[in-house]
Amino acid sequence: MGLALAKEGSRLHRRRQVIGWVLFALVVVVIPFLIADTYSATIFGNRYTVGLGNLSQAIAFMVAILGLNIATGYSGQLSLGHSFFVGSGAYLTAVLVNDFHWSYLSTLVVVVPGLFLFGVLFGLPALRIQGLYLGLLTFVMSTVFPSIIRLEELADRTGGSNGLLIGSDLVAPSWAPTETVAEWLHSIPGLGARVPDGFTSRQSEAVYKYFLLVIVAAVCFWLVRNILVGRVGRALIAIRDNQLGAVANGINLAAYKTLSFGLSAAVGGVAGTMLAMHSGFVGPDEFGFNLAILLIVGSIVGGVATLHGAVAGGLVIQFVPHWSGQTQTLPGTDIALQGPYGGVILGVLLIAIVFALPSGAANGFRQLKARFMPVVPQAPARSVIVSPDA
Amino acid sequence: MLFCRLATTLGTFDISLDKLSDGELWLAQFFRGLSDGATYASLALALVMIYKSTGFINFAQGSLALLGVYLVYVFSVEQGLPIAVAVVCAMVASALVAMFIERTFIRPFPPNNVLPLVIVTLGLLLIIDSAVGIVWQFRTRSLPSMFSDSAPIQWGIARLTWRTIGNLGAVFVVVGLLYVLMARTKIGLAFRAVSSNLESAQLMGIRVGSTLGFGWALAAAIGTLSGALVVPDLLLEPSVMLRVLIFSLAAAALGGLDSMVGAVLGGLVVGLTRNLLVTFLDLSELALATAVAVILVVLLARPTGFLGTVRRERV
Repeated sequence: MGLALAKEGSRLHRRRQVIGWVLFALVVVVIPFLIADTYSATIFGNRYTVGLGNLSQAIAFMVAILGLNIATGYSGQLSLGHSFFVGSGAYLTAVLVNDFHWSYLSTLVVVVPGLFLFGVLFGLPALRIQGLYLGLLTFVMSTVFPSIIRLEELADRTGGSNGLLIGSDLVAPSWAPTETVAEWLHSIPGLGARVPDGFTSRQSEAVYKYFLLVIVAAVCFWLVRNILVGRVGRALIAIRDNQLGAVANGINLAAYKTLSFGLSAAVGGVAGTMLAMHSGFVGPDEFGFNLAILLIVGSIVGGVATLHGAVAGGLVIQFVPHWSGQTQTLPGTDIALQGPYGGVILGVLLIAIVFALPSGAANGFRQLKARFMPVVPQAPARSVIVSPDA
Repeated sequence: MLFCRLATTLGTFDISLDKLSDGELWLAQFFRGLSDGATYASLALALVMIYKSTGFINFAQGSLALLGVYLVYVFSVEQGLPIAVAVVCAMVASALVAMFIERTFIRPFPPNNVLPLVIVTLGLLLIIDSAVGIVWQFRTRSLPSMFSDSAPIQWGIARLTWRTIGNLGAVFVVVGLLYVLMARTKIGLAFRAVSSNLESAQLMGIRVGSTLGFGWALAAAIGTLSGALVVPDLLLEPSVMLRVLIFSLAAAALGGLDSMVGAVLGGLVVGLTRNLLVTFLDLSELALATAVAVILVVLLARPTGFLGTVRRERV
């Protein structure tokens, strides 16, 4: 069953990896054109939709979970108030764009270092407060964010309870090849029928936004991966697995722990900027307790301490609640499932996902891959195996 | 932000001086703090029960309490039972529900892997809260209290009501009963064995599963009692326990997650902070932020709360 055994690093293995990435890139590029008209499917009398907007928001969530994974997954600091960082990033972007007329992407110049510093400051108490205590403290903190935004002193900047409409549009530049690609896809038989013939300005704006978010997310994932596969990542994992052992091996605990919070907050801030870009609106309650819970759920369901897990988790926390809300009828009965039924369905699905994949979607995917495309791991090329008596 | 506000408040200190020298206001807020504190303490006790036995935080604890309070409503208002009887019936019923939940949703997972259990309890939170909304709708109702609102001690606007005394008394009775249960009975011994070392307890022939189920039942019953204490002061609607849960989480962290006396202490401190500090510094919309600041300060000084066990790590 499955494909032939491939040695890690062999040409066969390389070729499979390249094919995998090309396929993935192709899907990422083609999908926005396919769902530019919101795609909908009717299953058992329920109409489920997939819009480009949903997908863009899912991408922002992926980055948020990526950030959470650095602190919680890799270095084992239970941080349940990640929505605080995401919200700060979103509001910082909104205020800079509105009051100082910056462009969305240029706000990252302030958001990333600002949130990094904030995260480092936040990491200082975490040097002393650990485990579930830290989890509870951060969790309660997540409920504080909306009330800070609502403070009278800040209301003329933040818009208070009403939220803030960001007065800037992301208009696709004239050189963007949206139309050309769309026409080209449209000419493919079969697939082409789903691609609209001409784009409205709103649709091409959505496609442009999507690609912008994909690029920002890809850069984030690439940077975080590079940090985590090296010295820093190993130090963080060592701290998570055994703190005393890590210190005994010469890891500077205080520096790495605060660094992990700084990185986590900075990536969370980028996710906030992305959410602001996506919706053009920020409101205090979007970044409260509910987002905090969703992000933990996404991190665990996707698989903690994995990069793929952040992708899966982002999709789950975007689409599972969305589709739960769209489930209006139960097949075979005439119960109308509205309002609170969405919460019941969401809860049942969450429990079902955990029952099916207790160690997260990323690990499930890895097991599946190992079954059908087995890879024999090899020792790194320059490694020297030291025998104890040498 | 908090510091900004503190500075501006201290700037206009004539008002705060007025308030600060108002003994009646102090006393009134003190009594109110005791009453709130007792209710936070009781839900925090339920959280501590689960933490002691399983080592994780049951995020669905507030929802189980919510279900319990609606059962109290059904027994007392709809069935016309006296309120005290209704509370006891609801405690038993919610304990049974919790045992069922533990058996079906919690026990299939290995107890030493906490992360899936966090998701399961969050899922249960969503299911129970929404189900309560479906069954009882979202309109607000009022629930009778077990204790009267008349005040045996009154001094101007400061009133120490029977309800405050009753809430405090109920919490102390619960702590006392739990102490006797843990220290003097066989099931309490089994419970302590499981919480101190699960595998050894299993090897000694203790039925770990049913002991944990018992812990869940006990926690749910305490949660229901806490709901019956707090809701008469507010109004009964499906999100009422969520706010209490957040303050109780704060109280549990403050007191030490594995200490019952700590939970009571933590609850009282959070309740008093909320009512005293917030009134005198005019921070009404920052009640939670104040609570967070207090927890931060306490945990920085004592990382496991007032009375939590300090864990020593061995390599």
